[in-house]
Amino acid sequence: MADDVVTLLAIESATDMVGVALVRDDGASAERVHVGGRVHAELLIPSVEEVCAVSGCSISDVDVIAVDLGPGLFTGLRVGVATAKALGQALSVGLVGVSSLDILAAAAIQRAVERSRADPADPADPAGMVVSVVDARRGEVFAAAYHLDRADGSSDPVDPGTVRDDRSEPITPDALEAWLSELAAAHGRVTVVGDGAVRYHHQLAAHASLDLEGAAELSAPPPLALAHLALTRLVRGEVPVAAADLVPDYRRPADARINWEQRAPRATPNEASGNGPR
Amino acid sequence: MADRTVTRVLGIETSCDETAASVVDDGSVIVSSVVSSQIDLHAKYGGVVPELAGRAHVELLTPVLAEALEAAGSDCSGTGIDAVAVTYGPGLIGSLLVGVAEAKALSLAWGIPLVGVNHLEAHLFASLLEQPDLGYPLVVLLVSGGHTLLVEVTEPGRYRLMGGTIDDAAGEAFDKVARYLGLGYPGGPAIDRIADQGDPAAFAFPRSYPGDGYDFSFSGLKTSVVNAVRKHPDADTADVAASFRRAVVDVLVARARKAAADVGATALCLAGGVAANALLRSTVEEACAADGIGAFLPSRALCTDNAAMVAAAGWWRLQHGDVSPLTLGADPNLRLAATA
Repeated sequence: MADDVVTLLAIESATDMVGVALVRDDGASAERVHVGGRVHAELLIPSVEEVCAVSGCSISDVDVIAVDLGPGLFTGLRVGVATAKALGQALSVGLVGVSSLDILAAAAIQRAVERSRADPADPADPAGMVVSVVDARRGEVFAAAYHLDRADGSSDPVDPGTVRDDRSEPITPDALEAWLSELAAAHGRVTVVGDGAVRYHHQLAAHASLDLEGAAELSAPPPLALAHLALTRLVRGEVPVAAADLVPDYRRPADARINWEQRAPRATPNEASGNGPR
Repeated sequence: MADRTVTRVLGIETSCDETAASVVDDGSVIVSSVVSSQIDLHAKYGGVVPELAGRAHVELLTPVLAEALEAAGSDCSGTGIDAVAVTYGPGLIGSLLVGVAEAKALSLAWGIPLVGVNHLEAHLFASLLEQPDLGYPLVVLLVSGGHTLLVEVTEPGRYRLMGGTIDDAAGEAFDKVARYLGLGYPGGPAIDRIADQGDPAAFAFPRSYPGDGYDFSFSGLKTSVVNAVRKHPDADTADVAASFRRAVVDVLVARARKAAADVGATALCLAGGVAANALLRSTVEEACAADGIGAFLPSRALCTDNAAMVAAAGWWRLQHGDVSPLTLGADPNLRLAATA
């Protein structure tokens, strides 16, 4: 393999899909995905082996590792990030962390571009509005809107991270619905993707201006989209980080912390128990 | 470069609230051992919070591994490491998965075998790290925040489960009572500190011996402590703690002693975090001296969770050709399978 070709390994495990992709900046690529069940921990590393094998390279040929940092399912994120960190540390290569919401948006943009190329009459609009929605469980979603009309047109493809209107905390489906209605009123058609859009499809489907057609197909961030987005960012100057510096984007405090902070005004455990001895 | 006649194993342990990595030669010589405890993180909750533990493991795994490799004269390229062993159960699923993911990545990146290790088996191997010439059979009393077991070991790696707790683990009882008494976390050391100033005969707490075998029960004792404190709100906390600790230790030692006598053990061995308890250690020593058998009390560093014991157990498994596939997952409910 030529030394000047960059080989990037992408690790995706933010939703209930786990997958990996191996891409090279000369255009070669391979992808493996597994859907459903608690398979992240079991199948991630074997999938890495597979993409290396079909690409005819070894794990030591990998120059940089991209990983989905979330938001998403905590356990899945931890498996993906721990794997990426350990591989980065063991291979002495840098890491590029990418938002799950950005990956979904990048995949939606790519799909719209392909569709409008194939059929110019197709209503899919690569320059419109995309909203990524990841199921946060417990009746909430993580969401971000991408104002593709704000892209300056100088870069192709558009990096969704440059036109993102993010929500830093999970929101309820009702809040999502209200937000999407506003966006649709202002922008006309809004493309909605991600497993959060699949879960709350019944609620969102009432709004004719929301394009939910692709949500099922793009329910999980595709590893190849992660790989290409990370490669694009590297080409545009993003510097990979060291393994020690990468942390998942949970966007939710751990349960105990929430409970404790609500209970904390009731003082020490001794006093809180009410009848402990002095 | 390590002597190539030696088999050097990297161990990784993340089953609960310690992030640990260690390099061990031939299952017996600790070359490096790094343990990063999350005690401070969980202290204000009075126990381990699983989600906090999982998050902390992700942050700690990189520096802990780097330190263990560096202290062993290696680096992150894994030079000289022949295999990677990892705890895959029992424990907290969100914690276990972090270590398993890390170990599998290292196995693939360095091209070395992966060995999945049972955390309980690893505790049994901890004693061998300090005293490789222990006589057999021996009985191990494994007492920690999650487990209370009596195990007969007939030779290294060959063991039989004799008894266990039917409700709370001993360490769990210490934590719960300490929390109730407002003594802080972890409960074992907190109770140990104050109990030394109390009268162990102040309260006659019950000693529970469920069945006629080797099982334990601590939930009734915990309830008795709560009832005693309610009845005597002015009682000295030191007296309550001392009486409680005495009751736990009496039960543990009585059953361990019976087990050792019944199998004709040459020695009684302690393992697990509660084995660091000062009263338990002195009582076991006295009992073994009286019974004419050996008492083996591993150092505190090897009683509590560590990765050296995982590397030692992994080395033993490796010697027996027991290599794990890269599809290894975590099993939070993994049991100690009898091999004797």
